[in-house]
This record gives sequence, structure tokens and C-alpha cells, in this order.
Amino acid sequence: MKERNNTGWLFVLPAALLLGLVGLIPLMTVINYSFFEIFILDKRFWVGTEWYDQIISTGRFWANFGRSTLFSSIVLAIQIPLGIAIALCIPKRQFWVGLALAGIALPLLVPWNMIPSLWLSLLNPDTGIIGRIMAAFGWSAEWKMSAVQTWAVIIIMDTWHWTSLVVLLCYSALTTIPASYYQAAAIDGASPWQVFRHIQLPKLHYVLLMAVLLRFMDSFMIYTEAFPINAGGPDGATMFLAVDLGEEIKAFNYGPSAARSVLYFLIVLTVAWLFTKAQNKIDAHETKRTT
Amino acid sequence: MFLRALPYIKATGLILFFGFACLPLVQMTMISFIATLPQPGIEVGSLTFGNYANIVSDPNLRSAFGNSIAYVLINICITVPVAIPAAYAFSRMSFLGDKHLFFAFIAFRITPPVVLTLPIFQLFSALGIVNSVFGIALAHCLFNLPISIWILQGFISAIPKEQDETAFLDGYSRPRFIWTFLLPQIAPGIAVTAFFCFMFSWVEVVFARILTTTNGKPISMAINALFGFQTDIGLVMAVTVASMIPGAVLVFSMRNHLSRGFKVGKL
Repeated sequence: MKERNNTGWLFVLPAALLLGLVGLIPLMTVINYSFFEIFILDKRFWVGTEWYDQIISTGRFWANFGRSTLFSSIVLAIQIPLGIAIALCIPKRQFWVGLALAGIALPLLVPWNMIPSLWLSLLNPDTGIIGRIMAAFGWSAEWKMSAVQTWAVIIIMDTWHWTSLVVLLCYSALTTIPASYYQAAAIDGASPWQVFRHIQLPKLHYVLLMAVLLRFMDSFMIYTEAFPINAGGPDGATMFLAVDLGEEIKAFNYGPSAARSVLYFLIVLTVAWLFTKAQNKIDAHETKRTT
Repeated sequence: MFLRALPYIKATGLILFFGFACLPLVQMTMISFIATLPQPGIEVGSLTFGNYANIVSDPNLRSAFGNSIAYVLINICITVPVAIPAAYAFSRMSFLGDKHLFFAFIAFRITPPVVLTLPIFQLFSALGIVNSVFGIALAHCLFNLPISIWILQGFISAIPKEQDETAFLDGYSRPRFIWTFLLPQIAPGIAVTAFFCFMFSWVEVVFARILTTTNGKPISMAINALFGFQTDIGLVMAVTVASMIPGAVLVFSMRNHLSRGFKVGKL
């Protein structure tokens, strides 16, 4: 049981102040701007909720929202199971395990703006490794014209970039399982599936929740990597929420982009709230199991 | 039958994934050793170390490496000392509004940077820290601080609580206890935290772009500046390879601690 002690606030105060500065103050500014028509920052007119009405009532926002939701669902459906599977494949405590982990972590270290360039050069039909193989099978280099193929490229790219994070998270949780659990399971003659279902998966709950949260939000708001692949095309087919916002900011539409930002932050709040709900549920479940 | 094949299936899966993870990197490294623009003395398409020599001879690229290292170090020096007491409080104490505060921290971690770009730029201009490594370091606290608190509190929660109480009976104050007992014990945790700060900060682009228009450009932006009418793609790839070297060295030296990074920590 944790002790009830309000001096805890003194300990979290520096963190709260710092996040207030880089998080809360900018957020308040955005909320403020979202109610104004702004030509230059010193000259602005109150327009009330006009920007919100505009965004909500046009199909563009909802189309982006739908695309981002679909994208995140596909990304989660691929990366989470794949991450768990790979983490299960890594053996425990052998001398080359560290090496394998280091190799798997490498995609996380590439500067984000270089990731699209890397994949574009990989898919280049004249010089790229994949591009040349695909060209030999008669795949046309015109993939940018096809919505399905552009989606596939972005999804594979994102899987390459981020599955490693899921693997690292899951593997770290798996290493906390005491060896005696496995020995007991072996004595009982448990099948690999039973070991996974009753020993390994329960240990993964918390870490998986975090992995789902991070992967969901980061893919839902994908920006840096998605835009250069095909500039949101073909015909807006890969125009995701954050890509659209980025374009609006580049066009200096302060008011509408601020309103859009506030809407996105509301989505963020909803997701964070669902996350804490789920976390409390797991906690309650585990307290019940241990007592 | 299936049981006997299982280790082989696992090994195959691992190797396949490893290959998938490394394929783009192989391509990148290959291009980085090829001359892609006509230069005196070297034919286009021939093998060369020229791209790497160009990095060393280009003052912009050299200073970009310096800037990147500087802002990541500053970020770690801000994040870790601020995160340790907060993680301690979340791990050991229950105080008014702790759950709500943790919720707010999580919300800031998952807020996409693009949402806050404009006001952060204005705020930092007013504070006079745009175009400097300090500005980027501060902006990156937005996502690094929550994740650091989360990792560290997992490590702190793994230490038995009885130890705190014994120390308090011996007359140690809380801050002194943290300094003399807790810090040495969570040293691997601090290393892992610093690594993850490095990882999320080194590759970030959105804040780095808006906060450095003239000066203090990090590597990612220096690479962007290389794209132009005639892009020397070999040089671009060489810079990218070079930019991954510090991270790869860190990953390799941390390899035995990495897996301990995310103990089952919960609030």
C-alpha cells in the first residue's frame, strides 16, 4: 500500500512546471487562436466557433478521420501480434541475444525525415533492392498511381520502423518471468500455447497496453513519414489527419489550423482517458488474483 | 513433431525479421559508398569513400553533428533530474490528484508535436531560444519527460519499500535517501531512460524543423538541406549512416540492460 502523503506534490512539481511550459501554455494559446480569424498575429477578429462548425460540417475532416482510423487499425493489427511473436522467438540469455536486440533496434535510430527517402530508394526499379526484384516479377513502377499500393508501402514502412519498439517492450516484460514458472509448466506437461496463454500473456498485459497506446497515437497522427511518400496522394487517398493539419499550417491558416489542433487534442484526451480506464481495470484484476 | 520443430521455427522467424529490419539499412549503406554526382576524378557509379570524406570536410555537416549531440545531451540533463523525484513520488506516495496528474502527463506524451508547433515557436521566440540547441532540448521534454517518469517509476517500484522505511528510521531525509540509496540502485534504470530520451530525441523532426530556421540545425535538418535541384544521394545516405553510428554504439553497449527497461511498472 502506498502512503498517503501530499508532499508528493513537491517531488512532481518540477516535472509539472516543465510540462506546463512546453505543453500547457502552448495548448492554451492554440485554444485561444481557434476562436479568431487571424491575418497577422497582432490583428485578429473574434469569430466564435465558426472554424469548428466549418471543420465538423465538411466531409474533409471526417474523410481524414476515417483514413487515419483505418490506418491505425491495420498498423495495430500487424505490429502488435508480430511484435509479440518476435519477442517470443528471442531466446533467453544467450550471448548473441544482445546482438539480435541491437540489430532489431536499428530502425528506431534512423532520422524520421530519412525514412521515406530510404524506402523510396529501396523501391526504385533501377537501383533499389526491392524495386529491382519486383520489376523482375513484372511489377510496374507506377505504384504511386494506385491508392492500394501507396497504402501498402506506407504500412510496410511503418511496420519496419516501429515493430522493433513493440518487440523491445514485450521482450523486457518476458524476461521478468521467473524460470520456476516454466519449470512448473514443464512438469505439468503444458503445451507451448498453454504456456503462452497462462504464463507469458498475463505478464505482457501492462506493457502491451503501453505499446498499443504509443503505437495507436503515433500512427493515428503520422506526419513526417507519410507525407513525402506520395504527398497525400494519389488523389488524397493517403491524406491523414496530421498530414492535413501540417499542410494547413504551412499555408498560414492560423485560425482553422488552431481549431483543427484543438479537435485533435480532444481525440488525444479521449484516448488517454480510455488508457487509464484500461490500466485501472488491469490493476483491479491483478489485485484480485494476488489476494 | 510440432514441438521438436518449434526452436527451428522460432530461429527462422527471428532471422527473417532481422533481415527485414536490416534490408533498408543495407541499401542505404551500399548507396553511401557510391559516387552519385559527377565529381573530378571519380566516375559516377564507382565505389568511393568520397561521400564520407565530404561529411568531414563540410563545416555545415560537422556543426550539425555537434548541434545534435549538444541538444540531446542538454535534453537528457534536464529530463532525468526532473523525472527522478517525480517517478519516486508516483511510485511511493499517494497524493491529492496523483492519478489526474499522471493522466495529464500521458496526454502530453501522445499529443502530436504538429498540434503545438505554432505556439511553441511563438513562445520560444519570446523567450529568445529559437535557433539554438537549448530550444530544441526544451521542446523535446514534452514527450521525453512523461516516458522517463514511466520507465523510472518501474525501476523504483522494483526496489522493496522496506528499505525506504529503514533509512527513515536511521534518520535520513527523503531527498538524502534518494541521493545516497536510491540513485545507485536505479543506475541501470537511469541509463535506460537516458537511452530512450536519446532515441526519441535524436530522430525527431517536427520541432527540430520549426525551431531552427537559420542556426543550430541538427543532423536531420542538415540532411534536408542537402536535397535540392541536384541531390547528391550518395552523400545523403552517407550522412544518414553516420547519424546512426552514435545510436548503434549506444544500443550495443546497452544491450544487456535494454531488456530490463520496462519492468512491469504500474501506477
